[in-house]
Amino acid sequence: MNAIELNGVTWRYEHAEEPALVDVNLAISEGEFVLVIGPNEAGKTTLVSAIKGLIPNAITGVLKGDVLVFGDRVESIKPPVLAKQIGFVFADPESQFTALTVEEEIVFGLENVGWPRETIGERVEWAARITGVEDLLDKPPYDISGGQKQRVAIASVIAMQPRILILDEPTAMIDPLGKDLVVRICAELKNDHDMTIVVVEHNIEAFAPLADKVVMVNEGRVERIAPPREIFRDLDHLLARDVHPPQVTQVFGRLRERGLYHGELPLSDEEGFAGWRTLLDGAAR
Amino acid sequence: MPRSEFAKKTLLGVVPADSPFYAFHPVTRLTLLLVLSVAPMFIDRPEINLAIIATTFGLFWWGGVRMSDLKKYRLLLVTVALFMFIVAYLAPGEKAQLTPVSLAGLTLYWEPMRWAFVSYVRLMAMLFGAILYFSTNRERDVLVGLRTLHLPFPVSYVAGLSLRSAGMFMEDFATIREAEQARALDLDALSLREKVKLYTMYTVPLFAVALRRADEISAALYARGYTLSGQPGTGGKRTDYLRDKFVVRARDWAVSLGLLGTLVVIAIVSRTTSVFSVQSSPLIAFVEQLLGIG
Amino acid sequence: MATNSAAGNSGKIWAVEEGERRSPGIIHVVMMALFIGIGIVVGTLGSLAIPIGFVSAFWPGQAVQAVGATWFGAWGVIAGMFFPFISNAMSGSAPIPVSAAYLPANFIQGFLAVAAFKLLNGDPRLRTVRDWTIWVVFGVLVANFLGAFWGTYVLSWFGLITDQARIPALLGWTIGNSIPSLIFGSILLKYVTPMVIRSKAFVKGWWA
Repeated sequence: MNAIELNGVTWRYEHAEEPALVDVNLAISEGEFVLVIGPNEAGKTTLVSAIKGLIPNAITGVLKGDVLVFGDRVESIKPPVLAKQIGFVFADPESQFTALTVEEEIVFGLENVGWPRETIGERVEWAARITGVEDLLDKPPYDISGGQKQRVAIASVIAMQPRILILDEPTAMIDPLGKDLVVRICAELKNDHDMTIVVVEHNIEAFAPLADKVVMVNEGRVERIAPPREIFRDLDHLLARDVHPPQVTQVFGRLRERGLYHGELPLSDEEGFAGWRTLLDGAAR
Repeated sequence: MPRSEFAKKTLLGVVPADSPFYAFHPVTRLTLLLVLSVAPMFIDRPEINLAIIATTFGLFWWGGVRMSDLKKYRLLLVTVALFMFIVAYLAPGEKAQLTPVSLAGLTLYWEPMRWAFVSYVRLMAMLFGAILYFSTNRERDVLVGLRTLHLPFPVSYVAGLSLRSAGMFMEDFATIREAEQARALDLDALSLREKVKLYTMYTVPLFAVALRRADEISAALYARGYTLSGQPGTGGKRTDYLRDKFVVRARDWAVSLGLLGTLVVIAIVSRTTSVFSVQSSPLIAFVEQLLGIG
Repeated sequence: MATNSAAGNSGKIWAVEEGERRSPGIIHVVMMALFIGIGIVVGTLGSLAIPIGFVSAFWPGQAVQAVGATWFGAWGVIAGMFFPFISNAMSGSAPIPVSAAYLPANFIQGFLAVAAFKLLNGDPRLRTVRDWTIWVVFGVLVANFLGAFWGTYVLSWFGLITDQARIPALLGWTIGNSIPSLIFGSILLKYVTPMVIRSKAFVKGWWA
């Protein structure tokens, strides 16, 4: 059974003339790290909102097709149960804060799903540690920096230990140091906790090395689904859609196009260094 | 009294993190609010209400409230007093039954003036009791107090969100004002009409922001499994982690019961004796003597 | 819950369309909380702008009560009833027992506007003279008069004004509140209502 399945999903927002999603079919296995990319207004956020059940439960419009989470239609799952299965981190962290302190923010979801006090204490400690917000627990969540806010938002969601975690542009509103921390958290959740993770991002550079699969969305349609190296081969196609693969991938992609490089496309700087070493070794011979 | 360098932001000001108020459970502080707000209603004797005001100010000082924060109420104290005494002067009631007093060429009537004074002191006692509460408690304390009283979770949640959103909108409002002042807007030079116009322009965007925030927050609540009733997904009683962190201690019981007991005694004494009546007031008697009344 | 109308375009704003399903949801609770927050800000700042204290001589808060109730039905009425508790305490306008005694006035100051618009099929976007008449007569003048009537009764009961001063206070209060209400409330209804009716928080019936 897939963790997530979308079958023929078409969605039109209320008051909109055109659908934001058109006949989307997508399957995500448990434990996969999926990167969703595409130009602005492509439908990426709409796609993940449909997976989370925000569409159609919290957002009005017309939905056709099915969204299944572990085999159940997402519309039929009660919010507390769905919250235990899927966590959702919004692009603007402050928009999701509803409590008066960071601690309460983390606790809120745990109370909603019905955990007892002892479990809540353990989960708060765990989530705060993983996201590095232990020192912020007593502070108002709207009174901290952008990077801290995003980490608090992530902490408040992962505390519920959902089986699936969706992050909608998690690095959009934070500084470079904050971005690195978010990426590190995602890596830890993937590697150590086997969470199914779906990330919508423009900052592909940071997340590409973690991704098992990349979903390319454009004009409400899923154009391609493939492993990252395969998707990033077609550089011109991506750049035409204002989607920028990691710089190191672009460089080696261009070298490959010119027949100067024949290895795997690197997705990270480390892989890039290895690629350069291969090239230089080849040149030295 | 040693003061921590770390301060906690309350609803109306700032108090030190080690303020003695925080040694008491939020519901005890709520009890203090209740007593300070209600007790003056049973008391006509102005010296007793003045003593309550003095006690309240003593609590401000003891709690570490920045006394300069209270300066913003000075104008209110004056305007309310002026209003009450002017009303008592202009509309004293049936003059034939009142005692005229000549003062600085004006003919005043003693009973309505006395009543204005008594009511003014009572009003100030009640007001400063509420100001004390809001100056020494954070939003979190208000919520814990309400939840300890076992109000339904949605009620306390709405209270918390309201207080939080008021803070957010105040900041938005202040940001707009600062932006205008940075563009050389001189508020003091504006006429009342211009101030009203400006005020309206500032607040209209707040409603647009509120609509957007409502959508975002309700989506966030849905995403975190919240339901309208606040009932948890497992059914049964909702864990209240925050409330459970605050323990009601023996001193809370002692102070709360003492305060409530005092309130009950005041109410009973007020209804059964004349101890708190104006007629028992030495201060009023002294003034009457000065004025040659009675 | 739904109120249908056959009387011209104005009434259609309240009509629940065929197939449209409306039910109270989290959005309404959230909007109520945010509106209490707005009311606290508007009420506190308005009172501090002209600090005559407990006499509501210039209180734009009534506009928030009337407009909030018009847009959000019972949720707005409830918000309008309770935000003055906080705004009065924070601005020093009225102690909590006085605010509690004001509750019926706060109720009527919001309820009358929404009841008039719904029952008389008025358009809160104030498109016609009829809409304006409904708003000004019921939402501003009668609402403030009744609110002031109760409010001055409360004040004399608490001894804050003399009985003889009730009538002048009533007139001053009614006129003094109606002016900011007319200006502020009219602007909100005219220019913000189109945005509100497109949102999920807008209430066509009483609760959804």
